[in-house]
Amino acid sequence: MSTTEKPYRSKVTQMEIDAQPPDHAMPAKREAELVIVDDPASGLSAKWLALLSGIGCVLGFSLFEALNFIEMNFAASPISTSLLAVLLGVFVVSLGSLTLGEVRGYRKVSQFIHRRPKLAELASNDSTQAALDALKLHASQFSRHSYAEQCYKRFTGLVKADHTSAEIVEMYRQFVAEPVKTKASEVVKKESMASGSMAFISPNHLIQSLMILWISMRTIKRVAKVYGLRPATAGNWKLMKILAQNLAAQSIFDLATDEMTNQLSGSLAAKLMENSAEAVAAGALNIRLGKTLMRLLEEEK
Amino acid sequence: MRKLLDSVLNPVRRASDAGSAQFAQWFMQSRHRFTITGLSRSGKSMLFTSLMTILKYRSEEQYQCLPLLRYLPMDLVENMWVEPLGELPEFPVDAHMAALERGDWPPATEAVAGFQLTVRLRQTHQLKKYLLPFTDIVFEFIDYPGEWLTDLPMLEKTYTQWSDSAWAQQMNEPQNRFAKDWHQLVSEFDFEQPPTPDAIAMLVAKYRDYLLTAKAEGISMLQPGSFLIPGSGFDWQEFGFTPLPSRISSDLSSPWTQRFNHHFEIFQKQWLAALKQSTFRETDKQIILVDLFEGLNHSKSHLYQLRETLSNLAQTFVYGDPGWVQRHLLRQQKIAKVAFVATKSDLIPAAQKDYLLALLKDVTRGATAQLDKDNIQFEHFLVSAIQATDAGSSEQSLRYVNGEGRYIEATFEPLPDSLKAMPADEHYPALPAGVPKDYLARMLNGNGLDRLFQYLLED
Repeated sequence: MSTTEKPYRSKVTQMEIDAQPPDHAMPAKREAELVIVDDPASGLSAKWLALLSGIGCVLGFSLFEALNFIEMNFAASPISTSLLAVLLGVFVVSLGSLTLGEVRGYRKVSQFIHRRPKLAELASNDSTQAALDALKLHASQFSRHSYAEQCYKRFTGLVKADHTSAEIVEMYRQFVAEPVKTKASEVVKKESMASGSMAFISPNHLIQSLMILWISMRTIKRVAKVYGLRPATAGNWKLMKILAQNLAAQSIFDLATDEMTNQLSGSLAAKLMENSAEAVAAGALNIRLGKTLMRLLEEEK
Repeated sequence: MRKLLDSVLNPVRRASDAGSAQFAQWFMQSRHRFTITGLSRSGKSMLFTSLMTILKYRSEEQYQCLPLLRYLPMDLVENMWVEPLGELPEFPVDAHMAALERGDWPPATEAVAGFQLTVRLRQTHQLKKYLLPFTDIVFEFIDYPGEWLTDLPMLEKTYTQWSDSAWAQQMNEPQNRFAKDWHQLVSEFDFEQPPTPDAIAMLVAKYRDYLLTAKAEGISMLQPGSFLIPGSGFDWQEFGFTPLPSRISSDLSSPWTQRFNHHFEIFQKQWLAALKQSTFRETDKQIILVDLFEGLNHSKSHLYQLRETLSNLAQTFVYGDPGWVQRHLLRQQKIAKVAFVATKSDLIPAAQKDYLLALLKDVTRGATAQLDKDNIQFEHFLVSAIQATDAGSSEQSLRYVNGEGRYIEATFEPLPDSLKAMPADEHYPALPAGVPKDYLARMLNGNGLDRLFQYLLED
C-alpha cells in the first residue's frame, strides 16, 4: 500500500512507544484424550474418622460397661472416664463435620442444577461479556481437575475479542457441553455393561439387588464427576429418586422373570434365560439412570 | 493365453476402476470449488498461505485453530493433503513462508498458481462407516494476479464500448488527477497519421504510464491490467491498444479504430477467453476480497471507484443455485454463495470493527444488488490472515511494529460506517505493519477464517 502526500487531514495519530510487543502464544493443542483426574486422597477422610470413632465408642462403651465400677466410681477413675469422653467427643465432632459436608454438598448440587446456563438465551444476548460471565459463573462450580473443567479451560483459550455471543455459545457447546455429554455417555455405557454383567452372574436376588445398588451409586458418582460435580455430594434427593425408580423397576422385572421361569420349569436353559433377561434389564435401567442424571446436569432448555 | 486373458480383463479392470473412482467421487467426496476473487493488493496470497498453514497445523499438530469451523471438526479429521490442481503451477507456499521468516510479506502475485486441498473426515454414523468409511472434502483454490481480474468485464464488450467506458472512468475523480498527462497527449495527438507500430507503441506506453501511476495511487479499476505485469503471456507490445476519444472510436472507418479493434479482439480471444476458461473456471462458491484500507488510505473518491469496480465485477460471473442433479450429474456449476471479505481487519482497533463491517456493506452495495436480483445468498466478513497488531492503551488504539522495527501506537478516530459519512478532506493512513517475529503463532491466531469457511461450507 502506498501512502502518498495528500492534502487530507489524517484521522490516525501515531507515536512510537517504549515497549516490547508481546509474544503471541501458539494456540492450545488439542489433547488426544482429556482424562478424569481423581483428587489425590489426603489424610483420613471424615467418613473413616466417623466410622472408626463410632467403633471406638462401641468398644469404649463396652469397655465402660465392663468396667462398671469406673462409671460407678467416676471420682475414683477420672483418667479412664476422661478418655472415653474425649473419644465420644471426636465421634460427635466428626459426625457433625460429615453432616455439614453432606448439607453443603446437597446445596451445591441444587445450585448446580439451578444455575445451569440457558444457552439459547445467552446466544441471543447482545452483550458478549454477559454471556461469558454467565458461562464463567457456571464453570466456577466445576471441581478441580474434572473433565468439565478441562474442557472449559480449552474453551476459554479459543475465545477472541470479535466473537459474538452466538459464536461464543456455539463454541461452548462444541468444546464443553458436547464433549462432556459424550464422555458421560461413555461412562454410562460402561457402567451399564458392568451392571448387566453383575446381574447375569449374581447367584440370587439379594446379591443381585445389592450389586445393582452399588453399580447405580457408582454410576451417579462417575457421571456427576464428569460434569464437574464433587462425587461425594451427589446425594441429591432427585438423584436418589431416580435410583429408587431404577431399583423398583428392577424388582418388578425380577417378578416377571420368576414367573416365566416357573412356567418353563427349572431347567438350566431357563435359568440362563432368566439371568440374561435380568442382565439386559439391569443394563437398560442403568442407562436410564445415567441419561436422566445427564439431563439433570446439562444446559437448561 | 495370459495375453489373451489380459486383453479381455484389462478393459473390465479399467471400467471397474473408473466405476469405483466415480462411486467415490459421487458418494465419498464433497467437492467445494472456491473462486477467491480479489483485486490487486487485496491479500489473496497471504490468505492462501495462512489458510494452508492453519489447516496443516490444525490437522497434523492438533493445534486448536479455527474453532468456529464446525464443518471440519478436529475430532474427525483423519488426514489432509495438498495436490496440484490440473496443470496449474503449484502455489508457492514454502517460498511465502520463507519470505515471512526473512521478515518480508509474500510478494505480489504475478502469475497464476493453484492447489487442491483434501481433508479426509472419518465417518461416525454406525451404518455408514462400514459402507462409506470416510468423506473427502476437496477444496480447489486458484491464486492469480488481481490485475487480470479487472480485465474480465472486457470480454463482454466491443472495443468501442470499452473505449468509451474507459474514457468516462478516466474523467471521474480521482482518476482524472492521474490521467492529466495522458489526456494532454491524446488531445495533441494527430489521429490523421497512419497507425504505425511506432505511433501505437508510443500511445500504449503513455497509457500504461497512466495505469501504473493510478495503480500506485490506489486505483483499482485499471484496464487492461494485464498490460501492467509480466506473466500474462499476451504480447501487449505487439498487439497493444488504448482507449480513444469517442470522436475517433465511434468512427469505424478510422484506421486507428480499426487497428485497435483488431488488437482488442486478439486480446479477447487469445488471452481473456483462455484466462476465464483456465483460471476463472466454473465454481460454486465465491469469496470476494476487498481491501478497504486502500480506499481509506487515499480518499472518499477512491472508495467510490472501488464500489464501481466491484459492481462491474459482479456482472462478470455466473450466479445461480444448481440442484444436486445439475451439479453432480450434469456437471453444471454456478456460484450459489458469495462472501464479501474485508481483509487485514487487524489493522483497526477491535472497537471499530462494526464500523468497518458497515463500510464493507456500503462499498459492496452495487454488487449485492446484483446478487439480490439473482436471489443468491451472500454475507459480509472481516478477516485477518495474520494478527499483525496488538491491543493499544485504549479501545480506539492498537500497536504494531513497523518495517524499521519500531513499536508504534496508532489511535483512530471513529471510522465512517458508510461512504456518505466519510469526510472528503480526511483519510485514514494505512499502517505499514511489518512481519512480526512470532508470525507463525499470529497466523494461527488469525481472525475470521473459521467464520468465513463455516458459512461457505454449511448447507
